[in-house]
Amino acid sequence: MKVDSPAKSLVIGTVSLFLFITAWELFCRLGFIEPLFMPAPSKILARAIKMIDNGQLIAHTLSSTRRVMVGFTVSSLVAIPFGIFLGSSRFFMAVFDPLISLLRPLPSMSWIPLSLLWLGITETQKYSIVFMGSFAPSLLYIIEATKSIDPLLIRAAKNLGASKLDVMREVILPGALPQIIAGLKVMLGIAWTCIISAELVAAREGLGFMIMNGKEYFQTDTVLLGMVMISVTVMIIDVVFRKVEKRLLPWTR
Amino acid sequence: MDTLGRAKISVQAVTKSFSGKRGQVTALKELSLDVQDGEFVVIVGASGCGKTTLLNLVAGFEKPSQGRILLDEEPVTGITPECGMIFQQYALFPWKTVQANVEFGLKMKRMPVKQRRERAARFIDIVGLKGFEKTYPHHLSGGMKQRVSIARSLANDPKVMLLDEPFAALDAMTRQVLQEQLVRIYEKHRKTIIFITHSIDEALLLSSRIVVMTARPGRIAQDIVNDLPHPRNATVQLSSRYMELKRTIWDSVQAEVMKSMEVEAD
Repeated sequence: MKVDSPAKSLVIGTVSLFLFITAWELFCRLGFIEPLFMPAPSKILARAIKMIDNGQLIAHTLSSTRRVMVGFTVSSLVAIPFGIFLGSSRFFMAVFDPLISLLRPLPSMSWIPLSLLWLGITETQKYSIVFMGSFAPSLLYIIEATKSIDPLLIRAAKNLGASKLDVMREVILPGALPQIIAGLKVMLGIAWTCIISAELVAAREGLGFMIMNGKEYFQTDTVLLGMVMISVTVMIIDVVFRKVEKRLLPWTR
Repeated sequence: MDTLGRAKISVQAVTKSFSGKRGQVTALKELSLDVQDGEFVVIVGASGCGKTTLLNLVAGFEKPSQGRILLDEEPVTGITPECGMIFQQYALFPWKTVQANVEFGLKMKRMPVKQRRERAARFIDIVGLKGFEKTYPHHLSGGMKQRVSIARSLANDPKVMLLDEPFAALDAMTRQVLQEQLVRIYEKHRKTIIFITHSIDEALLLSSRIVVMTARPGRIAQDIVNDLPHPRNATVQLSSRYMELKRTIWDSVQAEVMKSMEVEAD
């Protein structure tokens, strides 16, 4: 079959998802799968309805989303100007390069023990995990984006009287913006990984906590519901992000 | 011509060498050139003769290895908005509309929004792009982009306009339209212009003076006053004086091209 329109792909996608869920449900009903290891979709749905009713599902989802957003926003707000600055200054790049290289390979998980020691099981600790997990990679994305700017445009700007700061604000930032946003999109996914890990280890709420808690009580449906919610939330945020991207980059249309 | 020694631009014994992979390359060697206020100088030369290097030095993008360059008797020490550069690749900011591109230099001068909007609108009109103010560059043709870049430079009111093969990437028809437009702008605003090309016809159509450069290292081979009458229409282009000038320049350019090919073969 030729798939030549987005509508067609959507139809095919919907059918395939439906078939997958139906097969899963059937396998569970027919007893091929042990419900404790893998509950049927209908069980997960029933759990969802119950948890929406008592408000827990929304509370956990919002709590994780808030943590990701705060940590990610702070990290981006620091990384964007700092990255542009480093990308346009060879001297400061040389100064900070070794430090960034040391921080970059560290998974955010490795910061959890220290952050718990310093900050306790607090919201700040969650934000800091998201920050530590996304800051160094974001910074590298932004430095790379900065370097991809056509030097002719910088030359033209200077020729029209732009100062160094003008060049950063008027040329490098907007010029690098498409790549910065593409990088931040990837980083947002990583930020979610960070927060779920942090919540799995130590938290009192959030989707990671919900999953861990479900496991403690052998509520596999809660565990799977938590996982589904992570997927759905990230997908929704991705759509919103794409809308924002179009707003921010009118010239790419 | 005013030759009281108060040149608008004075290139004085400038040498420029680059260190590349194949060792030191001398692009320009002890080149001297005075350009008077209001002159339209076209520099013609074989590719790789250092024409662009000369322009980059005047604009302050690069520094001479030896010698110096004066603008209004002051040495050029860095990039200066007094020398507005028009690039062959337009160098428009893709994220800015036509309007915002033309306003750029004025914004850098911290001119109030209303004033710079009016001024930009005037120059957009001069280059014939009224109605395209809100368009982004990637929706424009090459010729339109180059007109935006000319408007952007003019709006900034530079003392000197430097044009680096500005029409080389355009088709013949568009090129002709833009050449005529540039001559009109020159006659109206009397800017001092240094224009680089490898087209002898373009040089003859536009210039008040033609400078032919030698093959690398670049020096001046010929300096000719272009006394062809304006407008330089078909009649002028078929006149014997036109042919005579063309032959003189062609002989000189051809000799340099042959020399540069021998250098390449070495």
